[in-house]
Amino acid sequence: MLYRTAGQFKTSYKSDQALFPIKQDAFLLGVILLFAVVIFPLTASEFTFQTILIPILIYSLAALGLNILTGFAGQLSLGTAAFMGVGAYACYKMVTLMPWMNPIVAILFSGIFSAGVGVAFGIPSLRIKGFYLAIATLAAQFFLVWLFEKWAWLYNYNASGAIQVPNLKMFGVYIAGPQASSVVQYFVVLFIVSLLTMVCINLTRGNLGRTWKATRDMDIAAELIGINLMKSKLTAFAVSSYIVGVAGALFVFMWRGAAEPNLFDIPLSFRVLFIAIIGGLGSVMGNFLGAILIVGLPVVLNLLPAALGIPISSATVEHLNIMCIGSLIIFFLIVEPHGLAQLWKLIREKLIIWPFPH
Amino acid sequence: MKTFAKMAAAAVVASVVAGAAMAEGLYTPNLSYRTGPFAATGIPLMNGQKDYMAMLNARDGGVGGVAIDFEECETGYSTEKGVECYEKTKGKAIVTQPWSTGITLQVLPKTNVDMIPILAPGYGFSPMMDGKTFQWAFNMPSGYWDGADMILQYLQSQGDLKGKKVAFLHLDHPYGKEPLPLLEAKAETMGYELLPIPVGLKEMQNQSAQWLQIRRERPDYVVMWGWGAMNAGAITEAVKTKFDMSKMVGVWWSGHDADLAIVGDKGKGYKSISWSFPDAASGVMADIKKHVVDAGLSESNETEMNGVFYGRGLVMSMILAEGIKVAQDKYGAAEINAEQLRWGLENINITEERLAELGMSGMVPAFSTSCANHTGHSGGWMLEWDGAKFVKVSDHLAPDTAAYVDIANAKAAEYAEANAPWAVNEECEG
Repeated sequence: MLYRTAGQFKTSYKSDQALFPIKQDAFLLGVILLFAVVIFPLTASEFTFQTILIPILIYSLAALGLNILTGFAGQLSLGTAAFMGVGAYACYKMVTLMPWMNPIVAILFSGIFSAGVGVAFGIPSLRIKGFYLAIATLAAQFFLVWLFEKWAWLYNYNASGAIQVPNLKMFGVYIAGPQASSVVQYFVVLFIVSLLTMVCINLTRGNLGRTWKATRDMDIAAELIGINLMKSKLTAFAVSSYIVGVAGALFVFMWRGAAEPNLFDIPLSFRVLFIAIIGGLGSVMGNFLGAILIVGLPVVLNLLPAALGIPISSATVEHLNIMCIGSLIIFFLIVEPHGLAQLWKLIREKLIIWPFPH
Repeated sequence: MKTFAKMAAAAVVASVVAGAAMAEGLYTPNLSYRTGPFAATGIPLMNGQKDYMAMLNARDGGVGGVAIDFEECETGYSTEKGVECYEKTKGKAIVTQPWSTGITLQVLPKTNVDMIPILAPGYGFSPMMDGKTFQWAFNMPSGYWDGADMILQYLQSQGDLKGKKVAFLHLDHPYGKEPLPLLEAKAETMGYELLPIPVGLKEMQNQSAQWLQIRRERPDYVVMWGWGAMNAGAITEAVKTKFDMSKMVGVWWSGHDADLAIVGDKGKGYKSISWSFPDAASGVMADIKKHVVDAGLSESNETEMNGVFYGRGLVMSMILAEGIKVAQDKYGAAEINAEQLRWGLENINITEERLAELGMSGMVPAFSTSCANHTGHSGGWMLEWDGAKFVKVSDHLAPDTAAYVDIANAKAAEYAEANAPWAVNEECEG
């Protein structure tokens, strides 16, 4: 009943091809946006911004980037963290070499560098597939992290080998660095993430998205119907790496404030991959759901015992937390191997006839 | 997603409210790591810190009559969790103890804006010694450059270093790279050849490549800046390759009893510079035994309590308690705030008499801080593994800070410039 689409007539092509053709979806999106744009900024504490809202958005974006490559184009990649690193270091070099540059422009530009690197490492995908490709992207992971450590120019010859985000202003307001307030950073992140999500939804619906999906489902068949596999795979690598690179720049500039090379090591790649898999491969919304589960939930769980007044030590909470998250991941994957996005789709279908099932 | 977000938001709001209502006394959170890859080295230190505060609470009712709320926030040594803990605790904390060079680098710029003192005893960023620039950061009693300088002094006293080859085995991480500028500068003045050998985070447990290099290069000394699994890895590898252990010197974080207990007698002669020394017969240990261990409040055990790291944990908490006391005396109030504690930490004067009063004679050298000097430069002792425990093998060594104060100030200025606008302590004469 809640999701009944009966009576919602489409009278023009435009309304039929709208991003959210079902009224309930559009309404739900409106509510979420209302929360994201008005209610959270008004009510959230700095802690909520720094540990829940901002990281969830950034991780969602990174997972979305990976999802374009792995979920839509079917090319498994284990080098996500390294591409995030390329974005972060590119952004760092740009704002330190050209301090007059608008920080948001710098963040959006930094994705171009990672897109370039991504395409270079994507070339092997033309000849190798599946697990073998995963190993090839693993090479990118190791090589790039090594490069971040050894190429001192990247971190401006800093003795500690880490990059520190300087205070950056835009229109007289600090938007990055220790002086920036969390609300401002949140809005910057929200703006960029919303923008790129919109772009991605449209890309995956369009011609490019369809060629990606064809490549994913059966590359030989795709080639036979005239899809240029090289173009399809390399554009997937480029778009994916671009988004991942922007996420990396946001990761360091809007959230962490400092980064050392090993931050971009393989555990981060796996984390993003888990978000994408648990959220749902080949879905846009799944990335956000996955990030809420993997990034947001542990933070909330950590607070629970204290909130309920249960006196257990912080270390024990941490151990329990790891166990809870682990079992939840297994639980969700058993209940719905196609991820949280699929789970949501099923719930929606049930809601069409709820509360009167046949 | 909506309900999920709502639930999450509700839980957060509830917990923040509940958390605020809970704290009693002076809130001095510790960003501990009892889980994760570095837990083995973290636990004795955390236990020492915690037991000292528990002892003060049980014996004296805290400091100046106010209980110390020494809550731990678990980070597992992860920078991400560290920042989460910092954000969680900063609202009511009067100090933050970040506990890893990575987390320190991350919260250092934030503390300058949030105005919370950051206490990083014996770790963190060496240029923090410039108290004028880093007005909120403290790394007393000794910084890494002090440690490197003392090691070089000790090696020099064993025979002129000129023309010798010193291998610098270090973790390839901000922490391991910290002493490099000093070691490089000293190599020129003292005339030894420096051979930096980095150990990647992934190779900590398997250092065969590094030790092959050491065997090939035949250095006269190996100076080690290791942490966690790297120490045990290096020590077992050194024993395996029959490296002369008396030629191997570690920083204070590389002098963990448990790492050497694995090799036992074969580790005899291994040295570690230290600004703390455990003393099981001291007054403070007797009090801890009486008020904490016998009351069942301690998570520690006999072997651990006799180790160097537990003793160091005690010293760290003592420094914080002293800072609180100094601030209370100055401001005439028991409930001090972060700003007042900053003054307290800046004016600590720990003399031999004061150490005797605390029952900690010989557990840490006497030192004092000032607004320009946030490190204190206590100096330390060279400890040596005798096959079963660490013993002191040198007199008190004092670092020659004059030799690198300029580099430190230059680095501090560079940091402040990179982080402009950076508030410095203008009242301080430097």
